[in-house]
Amino acid sequence: MSAERITRREMLKRLVIAPVGAAVLTTLEVREASAAALQRYYAPYFVAVLWEGRTRCDSLWRSLKGDVVAILPTVQGATPYDRLYWTGYALGNAPVNVDMRVLARAVDHNGVPLGSGWREIGQATIQTPPMRWFRVEIPEGHWDEYRLEVRSATPRLVYSRLIGSQGYWRE
Amino acid sequence: MPVRFLKNASELADVSWESPLPVAVTNAKPVPADTLLIATTNLFPTGERDLLGSTGAPELPTLDACGQYRKLIWFYFREGAADTTYTILARVTDHNGAPLGAGWLTIASGTLPGGANSWNRLEIPDTGDAYYDQYRILVNRTGGSGYYLISKIVGVR
Repeated sequence: MSAERITRREMLKRLVIAPVGAAVLTTLEVREASAAALQRYYAPYFVAVLWEGRTRCDSLWRSLKGDVVAILPTVQGATPYDRLYWTGYALGNAPVNVDMRVLARAVDHNGVPLGSGWREIGQATIQTPPMRWFRVEIPEGHWDEYRLEVRSATPRLVYSRLIGSQGYWRE
Repeated sequence: MPVRFLKNASELADVSWESPLPVAVTNAKPVPADTLLIATTNLFPTGERDLLGSTGAPELPTLDACGQYRKLIWFYFREGAADTTYTILARVTDHNGAPLGAGWLTIASGTLPGGANSWNRLEIPDTGDAYYDQYRILVNRTGGSGYYLISKIVGVR
């Protein structure tokens, strides 16, 4: 870092002689530490993509990520979200018949779960004709971690997206 | 070529980590939820106590400076299934943090849901908005064997 004291006239001269290019500006370092204090109102509705991808469903309860390890969460850091929405599309020519369940738990400041196991928020079966969209609303918000599990007697590929919504104050 | 900017009205400084370019952030959002409390409550003794273990007078708040939160979400993991009651008290303070009056307003009470080794969730208040400044959250094991209650409370704006 270097600094020098100059007059305003000298500064203007330098700026005219050596203008800053837009390409350089895009790499400037900025800090956002006080960002929250600058804006005291809420955006009307804010959503974030928590997970998106492909899940190969079979007869085992699998996380959307594909694992069968029950202690692993599918998404972490979900505390800010009032509701989660899971939207997907199941491939295959046979009618869709996919079981799903949603588990949740809270963690301490170190990210360690408060206790063992999970709370089961809900369980459902998604039944649609082939090649259709589905959508599941998960109402119990503000848990820190969620595990979304699916299984299907007929192996099937599911493309899906899980989003979190911060729309609490709009109720 | 280094990028420089006018700092402190008359100082031309290079942009660096130590001397970042002043910016106005236009699309920032406050964090919508804060963790207010993580506590383990010993419920081996009987008798009413708050989540931090305080009993009797003075009735200290379990949570303070909560006026900005519309809801509190109480997550807890209870290791035992013994009958337990809960009472949630609230009050408002003045600008100096002193309660406006004596005592508390009871905003919820009942039997603590859940069995042994179960996860649970309570919204405070159950319906409507909160915006109280202080809360005192009491639990009381009324029967069975003692256990630990592990709680986390999140304030939602």
